[in-house]
Amino acid sequence: MFKLWSSSPSASIRQFSSTVAKFATPTKDAAPKWTPNSIRTGLIARKRGMTSMYDDNGVRLPVTVLQLENCQVTANVKTVRPDQTEYHAVQVAAADRPLKTTTAQMRGHFKKAGVSPKRIVKEFPVTPDAHVPIGTTLSAIHFVPGQYVDVVAKSIGKGFQGGMKRWNFKGLRASHGVSVSHRSIGSTGGHQDPGRIWPGKKMAGRMGGETTTAQNLRVVRIDTSLGLIFVKGCVPGVDDAHVLVRDAKKRLQSLAKANQAKGLYEKVLPKGVTDLPFPAGTSELAETLPTIIEAPSDRVTSPFTPRE
Amino acid sequence: MFRSLRAATKLLTRSTSTTPSPYPFSNVAILPPPPETAATPSLRKGKGIMQYIHKTLPCPERQALIMRLFSRRHPERLLPGSVVAVTLAHAPTSFSGVLLSVRRRGPDTSFVLRNIVHRTGVEMQFFVNSPHVKEIRVIQRAGGGGGKEGRRMRRAKLFYLRDSPEKMSEISAGVRG
Repeated sequence: MFKLWSSSPSASIRQFSSTVAKFATPTKDAAPKWTPNSIRTGLIARKRGMTSMYDDNGVRLPVTVLQLENCQVTANVKTVRPDQTEYHAVQVAAADRPLKTTTAQMRGHFKKAGVSPKRIVKEFPVTPDAHVPIGTTLSAIHFVPGQYVDVVAKSIGKGFQGGMKRWNFKGLRASHGVSVSHRSIGSTGGHQDPGRIWPGKKMAGRMGGETTTAQNLRVVRIDTSLGLIFVKGCVPGVDDAHVLVRDAKKRLQSLAKANQAKGLYEKVLPKGVTDLPFPAGTSELAETLPTIIEAPSDRVTSPFTPRE
Repeated sequence: MFRSLRAATKLLTRSTSTTPSPYPFSNVAILPPPPETAATPSLRKGKGIMQYIHKTLPCPERQALIMRLFSRRHPERLLPGSVVAVTLAHAPTSFSGVLLSVRRRGPDTSFVLRNIVHRTGVEMQFFVNSPHVKEIRVIQRAGGGGGKEGRRMRRAKLFYLRDSPEKMSEISAGVRG
């Protein structure tokens, strides 16, 4: 499947996907296929809340529910930098908003893309082969249950916080003579040398309310009728906040590239995942596939059966 | 080694099958049946989505069990002070005891049973949605309003029973009687 660059004849025995049977380089007319060196676009979703699910081993998984709200592609960006390298990105918008609250500038932008006015517009850097036609509605089918994703969102604001909460400082003792400074930062530097505090010294200040990424979250279930993506674990931000979901940089993209280069074709994609919708999972594709898809457990054995 | 064996078996099966898989992106994905209630436009916008998920994520038999035994107003709900027996898929295969508390959190609903086993107080917490919980059987119902069923417990959480074994034996005496 990812053997486009493999020259060993024994690789032909290893291919097990009926969707990628040919080894020839895809022609222009053939549908584009995911390669370990491609980077796909992401989606914009809304964090709806958390619940729990049980996998097929009976293990309880805490899951976060993300919902897509008419996520559409509004532009394909290509910029040539001064050193002649190219930057490619797919601009995605989500969450319809009333026309009268949209500024004239944004109205023109959405009209050019042929989509309804949206609340949030973000772009995802991609490789040149991963551009998506403008106006395409993206669907939850874009992610495959069993794969890993990164979720980016603005974290909950905690206000002005001290060193113990903000930087995990230990504070001082509760007793034994400590006066009035149990939670203070303590010393902030040396003496006459350097005679100042180094810039960047961890101190009290405003905490939270900044863009944070939760990395390598496993997608456990997708529901295309409601546009739901269930990811295992926690996601930054409050309920109903906009989040950006994209393929995990560490556990999907770099692993795929490295394993393909090493020749470990079985490890290119996570266990159980044979392919990824490329360049994107659209609502048209979702109509041809089952509505609800769940990932099996990532464990081989059940933790409830005792080991000998 | 295990994974190459699995891949080998997949190779053998795949080379003989000619039917296209319903989901081409994963060969081990589970395809549960879609729920009976279709997606309404307001659900697609997100209105009431979490309540809908809490209701529909467990399978229908579980949903009915949660509704019957653990809702707040159902006439057959479990009251604290009842004696309940639970059958599990893993060890210990069965456990019975006094219901100390019910923690109602939709699909995360759980309850705690307390029993004295070999002169040792043992408490176990069971999650209703867990596939390992096979059966929940009521041995003795706690009083709903006095009379034949006895006086109802005046508390929702009977953690005071941990310090009074005499009250525990009062409840268990009723079981044998």
